[in-house]
Amino acid sequence: MRRYLLLRVFQLVPVTLVVIVLNFLLVHLAPGDVSIVLAGDNADPAYLAIIRERYGLDRPFLEQLWRYLVQVGSGDLGVSFRSREPVFAEIMSRVPATLLLVGTSLVISVVLGTLVGAWIARRPGSALDSSVSALAVALFSMPVFWLGLMLVLLFAVELQVLPAMGMASVDGPRDGVGRVLDVAQHMILPVLALTTVSFGQYVRLSRSAVAEVMSESYITTVRAIGFPERTILMHYALRNALLPVVTVLGLQLGLVLTGAVLTETVFSWPGLGRLIYDAILARDTPIIMGAFIAMSVTVAFASLLTDLVYAALDPRVKLT
Amino acid sequence: MTTLTKTLSLAFAGLMLGLATAAAQQPATLVVPQLGEPKTLSPNFASDSLGFAPTSNVYSHLVAIDWGVNKGTGAYGDLAESWTTSEDGKTVTFKLNKAAKWHDGKPVTGHDVKFTFDTIIRKKYPALVVLKNVKEITVPDDNTVVLQLIDPEVGFVPMLAQVSTWTAKIYPKHLWEGQDGFDTGPLVNAPIGSGPFKFTRWEKGGLVELEANKDYFRGAPKVDRLVFRQVTDVNVARAEFDSGRLQFLNYEYAPPLAEIPALQRDPKVKVVFTPTHFSRDIQINLKKAPLDKQQVRQAIAHAIDREAMNKLAFSGFWKPAIHASVESQGDLINRDAKFPAFDKAKAEKLLDEAGLPRGAGGWRFDVSVTNPNFPDCKAMMEVLVQQLRQVGINAKLEQFDQATWFRRQAEKQFDISCYFTRYGPDPDAFREHFMTGGGRNNMSYTNPELDALAQKAATLNNKDERRKIYHRIQEIIVTDLPYINLFNEQKTTLIRAGWSGFNTEPEAFDKAVTWFGYYSVVPPGR
Repeated sequence: MRRYLLLRVFQLVPVTLVVIVLNFLLVHLAPGDVSIVLAGDNADPAYLAIIRERYGLDRPFLEQLWRYLVQVGSGDLGVSFRSREPVFAEIMSRVPATLLLVGTSLVISVVLGTLVGAWIARRPGSALDSSVSALAVALFSMPVFWLGLMLVLLFAVELQVLPAMGMASVDGPRDGVGRVLDVAQHMILPVLALTTVSFGQYVRLSRSAVAEVMSESYITTVRAIGFPERTILMHYALRNALLPVVTVLGLQLGLVLTGAVLTETVFSWPGLGRLIYDAILARDTPIIMGAFIAMSVTVAFASLLTDLVYAALDPRVKLT
Repeated sequence: MTTLTKTLSLAFAGLMLGLATAAAQQPATLVVPQLGEPKTLSPNFASDSLGFAPTSNVYSHLVAIDWGVNKGTGAYGDLAESWTTSEDGKTVTFKLNKAAKWHDGKPVTGHDVKFTFDTIIRKKYPALVVLKNVKEITVPDDNTVVLQLIDPEVGFVPMLAQVSTWTAKIYPKHLWEGQDGFDTGPLVNAPIGSGPFKFTRWEKGGLVELEANKDYFRGAPKVDRLVFRQVTDVNVARAEFDSGRLQFLNYEYAPPLAEIPALQRDPKVKVVFTPTHFSRDIQINLKKAPLDKQQVRQAIAHAIDREAMNKLAFSGFWKPAIHASVESQGDLINRDAKFPAFDKAKAEKLLDEAGLPRGAGGWRFDVSVTNPNFPDCKAMMEVLVQQLRQVGINAKLEQFDQATWFRRQAEKQFDISCYFTRYGPDPDAFREHFMTGGGRNNMSYTNPELDALAQKAATLNNKDERRKIYHRIQEIIVTDLPYINLFNEQKTTLIRAGWSGFNTEPEAFDKAVTWFGYYSVVPPGR
């Protein structure tokens, strides 16, 4: 088991390397560079040249790549072209906000979605099943920015009960319980928007998985033994039906850092998705690369976690 | 009056006084929405459209302009109390305001101005665009700065004021002299300036917060706290404004003009239109056949119906422009020099005469129309395409992202494009747009007479002589037609009733300190 974990962690190195090279190439291929973004459209060509020199953009591509790899190898992600602050600090300052938003919504939608899906799977084809399934599809296909705007209209403008934007009030408390309550209040609408959309996905997933398991012969056997329906569902069916849910959850967990650019934009949430989006528009290579490295590490760890959970859920899966 | 009533009334009076002061002491916070995050809070080394607003309120400038420039009022002193230009136009002497202090309490002196401008010139920072004409800066005493120019330039001070809106803010020498440039060191993102507001905090991804500088040399601002909050979605900002939680929506968040009549009926909202000294026009590529023929450009001018365009693109709220200038320029406008008026029959006739008869499908020739990524330009060009098609010009709309559009424009890869020609703060702007090789002359336009005139006007101190030259230049332009003026650009802002003194309102002109200044804002009840 320990050998397996070590191996998986070591696999990260080539994965990250490929990610760096590919993305470096992509950023390099995109038209325009940071000098134009920094100097403005009426800039002096001499100033453009100075910026390119200062940021090393005047070097050949391979040299830039090599320098970057050496720098990352020594544990330094560099300095943002725009803000002139360390990339690691810039990224870390945005991670809590994104984790809070996407993490909360992920937990709620997985737990609630799986339970509801399992519940309606007891009687496939019933009126309850078809109406909840239809609703799930509708929620799943709703554009999240539109839903976000509608929630703002209803709760922030019409009813005026919830704040529409940001992570905290301008005049709110800066620490203690007051701060927690303030942030929690600001979280409600974005989490609701994000959860509503992914909730539908888990309902559909768990419904079809549970329905399939329920038709298997071992369930018929437990039924014949006379276990109560609830125990059969929760104890015997759901556990086996969880495997596809875990797969999708693993995939989404990997994208937890980037999965909410639209929601973050609608609600002015100070998260990582917006940082990456702005960095791409401004060709802020150090931030883009740093974020991609962070993302590839998250994806790798999420898939490792998925495999571990698989092994725990399904005794036939052995990690070697 | 008994002692008791006296005591009671005194107590009552005291209570009322106490309540009144308590009410007056309630701090006034102004939250200004911004579409995104500033790059840094050091305005002098990068062009940073989202940093302009916070930094313009923290730092001071030597001279400034604000939207008052649209009334033709030009530059006014910020740190400079007054200035004089020598007879030969090559020496400008600024007298500084002695009361100006940095936020750390030290006085602002001419050495700070010299240090800032010298660094900009040495590092070739963006403000070099105006400071490149500076030969030497001297500081005879703490309150005097002398700029020696290489060539006489009448428009130097107004141009410096315009550029100061974005960059060329004055930095404290005693805190920056150890740094290699304006992009390193502890003050890049924690600025110390001499402006009306002091920097307090920057919540990344959230907001930049400033507090009133009680010792500001023009007097403390009436707003106690100024917060630039990131509101990335235009619709959410509008919802927050409608529900009263935002007091001000600047033009970046302007609602569609079709909604204006309803807003104008709302007593809780002030709708402010602010004309600028820019126009919305079209540049024509003179290197592309058949646009290289003057007759064809004349036909295009005749094909354009500004009134119809105004209705369709702007719900009739903009002001059509028929001269090679905009209203802010006052008597500098040559009102006899007009662009060809709307006349479809004449347009068709001219095109026939130019050897471009209607051919297959009724088309005379193909032309592509493009625009920078401004909503107003896009709306105008959609109408223009239809108007050109009506006289048999097969026009098609092509759109690009902003960076690509700028590049294609500079590389002259366009036929007709929407553009934003500038006429102030000094009419010397004509050189940049219409002189051979001018920085914004994307049309490849060249006219030796205009070149000579514009060059001469830039050095003339005599106002009447200058005006005559600029009148002649406008005559040349409306004849040669390298561009066709269509509208005076106009900004729309929304203000909550009770608040006043915002930079786009006439009462704040020449008081707001830059286009992004909030110094003159007055909260309700102040």
